[in-house]
Amino acid sequence: MSDDQMVTIEVDGRKLEAKAGELLIEVTDAAGINIPRFCYHKKLSVSANCRMCLVEVSKVPKPIPACATTVNNGMQVFTRSPLALAAQKGTMEFLLINHPLDCPICDQGGECELQDVAVGYGSDVSRFVEGKRVIPERNIGPLIATDFTRCIHCTRCVRFGAEIAGIRELGATGRGEHMEIGTYVEKSIDSELSGNIIDVCPVGSLTSKPARYQARAWELVQREAVAPHDSVGSNLHIHLRRNQVMRVHPKDNESVNECWISDRDRFSYLGLYSEDRVTRPLIKTEGQWKECDWQEALDFAAQGMKKARGGDGDQIGALVSPTATLEEMYLTRKLMGGLGSRNVDSRLRQGDFRGEESAPWLGQSIADLDNLNGVLLIGSNVRKEQPIFAHRLRKAAMEGAWVGFVTPFELDMNYRAEQLVSSPAGMISDLAAVAKALGLSGSLVDDAEVSDVHQRVAEKLKTAEKTTVLLGNLAVAHMDYSLLRHLGALIADATDSVLGFLPEAANSVGARLVGVAGGDGLDSLAMLNSPRKGYLLLGVEPDWDFWNPSLARQSLSEAEFVVALSAYRSASLEENADVILPVAGFTESSGTYVNAEGIWQSFNGSVKPMGEARPAWKVLRVLGNLLDVADFEYNSSSQVLEEARDSSTIQPGGNSSTPGELNVRTPAAGLVRAGDVPLYASDALVRRSNPLQKTNDAISAAVHVNPQVAKDGGFSAGDQVMVKQGNTGATMALVIDEAIPDGCARIPAALSGTGELGGQFGEVTLEKA
Amino acid sequence: MKALRDYVKSLFLLELMKGLGLTGRYLFKKKFTVQYPEEKAPISSRFRGVHALRRYPNGEERCIACKLCEATCPALAITIEAEPRDDGSRRTTRYDIDLFKCIFCGYCQEACPVDAIVETRIYEYSFENRQEAVLTKEKLLAIGDKCEAQLAADISAQADYR
Amino acid sequence: MPEIRNYTLNFGPQHPAAHGVLRLVLEMDGEVIERADPHIGLLHRATEKLAESKPYLQSVPYMDRLDYMSMMCNEHAYVRAIEKLVGTKVPVRAQYIRTMFDEITRILNHLLWLGTHALDVGAMTMFLYCFREREDLMDCYEAVTGARLHAAYYRPGGVYRDLPDQMPNHEYNEFRSKADIDRMNEVRQGSLLDFISAFTDRFPGKVDEYETLLTDNRIWKQRTVGIGVVSPERAQQLGFTGPMIRGSGFAWDLRKKQTYAAYDQVEFDIPVGQNGDCYDRYLVRIEELRQSNRIVKQCVEWLRANPGPVIAEDHKIAAPSRADVRGDMESLIHHFKLFTEGFCPPAGEVYTAVEAPKGEFGCYVISDGANKPYRLKLRAPGFAHLSAMNEMVEGHMLADVVAIIGTMDIVFGEIDR
Repeated sequence: MSDDQMVTIEVDGRKLEAKAGELLIEVTDAAGINIPRFCYHKKLSVSANCRMCLVEVSKVPKPIPACATTVNNGMQVFTRSPLALAAQKGTMEFLLINHPLDCPICDQGGECELQDVAVGYGSDVSRFVEGKRVIPERNIGPLIATDFTRCIHCTRCVRFGAEIAGIRELGATGRGEHMEIGTYVEKSIDSELSGNIIDVCPVGSLTSKPARYQARAWELVQREAVAPHDSVGSNLHIHLRRNQVMRVHPKDNESVNECWISDRDRFSYLGLYSEDRVTRPLIKTEGQWKECDWQEALDFAAQGMKKARGGDGDQIGALVSPTATLEEMYLTRKLMGGLGSRNVDSRLRQGDFRGEESAPWLGQSIADLDNLNGVLLIGSNVRKEQPIFAHRLRKAAMEGAWVGFVTPFELDMNYRAEQLVSSPAGMISDLAAVAKALGLSGSLVDDAEVSDVHQRVAEKLKTAEKTTVLLGNLAVAHMDYSLLRHLGALIADATDSVLGFLPEAANSVGARLVGVAGGDGLDSLAMLNSPRKGYLLLGVEPDWDFWNPSLARQSLSEAEFVVALSAYRSASLEENADVILPVAGFTESSGTYVNAEGIWQSFNGSVKPMGEARPAWKVLRVLGNLLDVADFEYNSSSQVLEEARDSSTIQPGGNSSTPGELNVRTPAAGLVRAGDVPLYASDALVRRSNPLQKTNDAISAAVHVNPQVAKDGGFSAGDQVMVKQGNTGATMALVIDEAIPDGCARIPAALSGTGELGGQFGEVTLEKA
Repeated sequence: MKALRDYVKSLFLLELMKGLGLTGRYLFKKKFTVQYPEEKAPISSRFRGVHALRRYPNGEERCIACKLCEATCPALAITIEAEPRDDGSRRTTRYDIDLFKCIFCGYCQEACPVDAIVETRIYEYSFENRQEAVLTKEKLLAIGDKCEAQLAADISAQADYR
Repeated sequence: MPEIRNYTLNFGPQHPAAHGVLRLVLEMDGEVIERADPHIGLLHRATEKLAESKPYLQSVPYMDRLDYMSMMCNEHAYVRAIEKLVGTKVPVRAQYIRTMFDEITRILNHLLWLGTHALDVGAMTMFLYCFREREDLMDCYEAVTGARLHAAYYRPGGVYRDLPDQMPNHEYNEFRSKADIDRMNEVRQGSLLDFISAFTDRFPGKVDEYETLLTDNRIWKQRTVGIGVVSPERAQQLGFTGPMIRGSGFAWDLRKKQTYAAYDQVEFDIPVGQNGDCYDRYLVRIEELRQSNRIVKQCVEWLRANPGPVIAEDHKIAAPSRADVRGDMESLIHHFKLFTEGFCPPAGEVYTAVEAPKGEFGCYVISDGANKPYRLKLRAPGFAHLSAMNEMVEGHMLADVVAIIGTMDIVFGEIDR
């Protein structure tokens, strides 16, 4: 029987068309016929262990589970027949036998599938008088609260862990009454997708710890939003109560995030209520910060900008966070343009601006990632950079795709992948060797030494049907990014692969489209290397958001005038800015993000900005008026969007790369820093989400080196070492890590204590502190 | 004959005299007036007066912030905010009843699974300014502490009926 | 020659005889009414709209506040609508309790009507006497529901709780002798049913007293006989119900014609008038007091003899008992869901009506299958009656307007809704 052969079945007297081999429950769901269920989940494997979906099927003597029954032609199904109802009622009674009387104190109360099904299908009175089972509480980390006494053993969380998150963290032990769900390793769940088990759990066993006891489902108002962190652009449901975000849930979008979101998207909202929020405009006079009203602050900012600009617009520049909305970016560029400056950039963490490239995007649709047969990721810790992409790639890998990484340190994988681990300089030669193995030649390629591994990579990419070469955040931060990109493009070309990028932030692609990145002015490094007299910072924190934070701070502090539009205050911002204009944060402002795939996703503000903060586009608009920029009358962000859309000439097409000079800047010898941005340090909001900062993914500043390097330097684990990078230096702990190759020191960036250091990649020396 | 009788009746105001006789007799009867406020009409253990939050005998507040009262309140008079207390238990941080909104329907005490929110026998209350119409958690607990003996008696008296 | 103009007079909305917030704009030729234009809406609270945003159960207390003189009758119409929608069976005892309290409510309403109507027309004493009896009935209300007026007692599936076995007693105090208080507590020694029973025994005598004061009274007759005459045909056309149509001689009573609760189990008569004037309507209502008393008496006897459940056992609709909620998972879940989300009746529409003291109080509910009504429409009898104001007062004197307002027994809670 072929897969797409259609069969006709009859459910409760209704004739339904279905594909042969489809599950009965899928057919009834599509037809809007409700069958109760707990263990069945459309994205997880079928386990048929809750028995709630029992239905009567003609010619079958006993009721059978709809989630484990495939449809047959002419099958007659009764979902509400006396037999089916009795079976469902009986199942419900068993499920409730051991369920504690917790509804009043359970966070799931009101949105609990068990409650709903009990009311819809169960009996209204219990016959059970014996004692109930109790399972002691377990702490599985700062994000998820557990209460396994409430568990009904649907094993959705177990299957989620095994099939989606790729970590067997939760498992069931014991049988029958003694079955318990536990963590295999008695430790917190370290998955970047762990929060989704809150959603899959049909009862109150797994609930959100940060939102614990705070709100009931019926109090919440649902609004839509787009995740402001990585370039996936996950669709979110924001749940509000009295102008406060109480929690964030995924919104189903099969082509973007399916029904999952990363923990970063789910829990970052807590950063909104950080003490660091700026709620009133601040100006610095004679080194002292004082609060003032908007008029004063805006006048002060406009005057300062005018003065810094003097007669030459080129003397000022704007540095924009890549998580700013499209509207904000566009207005910033237009504002700077009005002042005669083309210096606008949002590529704050790019380490090399040589050569030219088209607007870098994924190169394919997000859903395409599922169906790849071969993937080569260059400098991408995709699991910690764009977790949903990692999930998509994992899906492809589970289907048999070959996945390879060229990486400066070994990555923690949740599936089998080939990792070419070598020092930052080695990454270039690895790629060159792969290119050589493919029969290419050229100035970099010719000197490469090809080994078996490189042959194999070349082979896989060449033979697999659908392949892609993706460059990640580590590649962008590499001091020879243009070379990695060039080699990647060569390899992609030679293997007929799609060249793609995994852009860093929510609006990295959007920034290109409105000319905030890749315009004809100075890039972010140039703007800091040859200091400007005035800077406009949008959502940027000098210590943490720059490739080279010490350079950034120096240039900013030397500038005559720095205007910062920021939702947060931080020490480095207060040190360097002259005026801080409080702007709206995530969920507080309307806007648009363009995700990696190039989809424009607009959203509305869901809550009022905190205190006197205002949406940044409004602040920019008034600044523009005060600085007499022409055509700066906007009454809504959609007007800005329309104009931005009309003026944008770039559309993401095929990715292309033109190399500049081909000399390698990465030192081949000595210790070279590889500075990744940890998962929960990526932007200002995440950095202030306390629960995320308590997870194991929130690492603190440290030097990770392999045992050999440590031995050579005479260090042991835990030593405080002085890291010297150029003329900068900082002291931090030393961690011995087998995953780091020779000649490389992994020193993550964007953490407190790393703001004193130089670029994310670069030569470092270690000394005992 | 009837006309004559009616004429006599009418002439001598007979029906009015009867009425006066009735009212006159009440002059000498026991008064049924209740001298409020010195004296009060009897009220039952079901009475729905102003609210109180109760405590357990050990002093622990009963309310577990389940918010059923808030959900079932037809007038949306109850506002609750909750979070885990230091010992991990589920507790309210705010429990306000706006007496301007409250319609004293008794659904809150009906919904409460732990008999925490109850309506007392207090029906004499007044405010001098509008803010006082909002009964905060402290005020509610204080009312509960004051009336606990009566409340416990009333609830046990009603236990068979609910 | 001065121009002769009609006077336009504003009657209410703060006139004490306007029974609430009726504003009548009267066009007067001297002291004769040419036209009366009732302005309503000053007590509009959007009850019907409000009900669309609340689970079914939560609108019950709002029904009390419609015709706030006949609280439980309004609730009765509403809960019957839900029961019809869901198809719930109401226990017999609950039916009898509802019948009894509907009639107690009718007595309460008619007593208030009688007192205020007489007061408007000039008889002060009636008001005091009527309120004396009302006080006893309000004590019944309070003993059974906990509130003297806004009962919130009927539930879809029955009533909230059974009748109490004890009546609260007057407490001893220094302002009255112990013997006096003991005398007052005499009727309160037994259960609520004993208390009601004692009331029904003494009440006919009280009605006799009212009749002594009013029925033959020449002033009363002068003010009511021949005032506001409505023919039976016209009364039908105007949509009159209740005593208003029965006063015109049309024996229409939903308790007989479309019987509900336990009305088919009790004996009572429908009084009708002959002339359709204010006096006949007065006589009809006085007789209804006696008939209601008769019904209450029969209910008391039945209720004494037949203990049993007072609310449906089906906890998908009716909340489970307190004790069950504490020990039984299914009950707790149902309790939780009923008080938060409520129940979802099947999609459909129903109309149910009860014979409220003022006439046919109807409740039309459309359900779309959600936990709140898609639409709720309330048929308030007073609205139809008030619409006839112009017709009834035309050609009468200004003072007769008061008598006609009184005879209509209007309450703005239900008219303005």
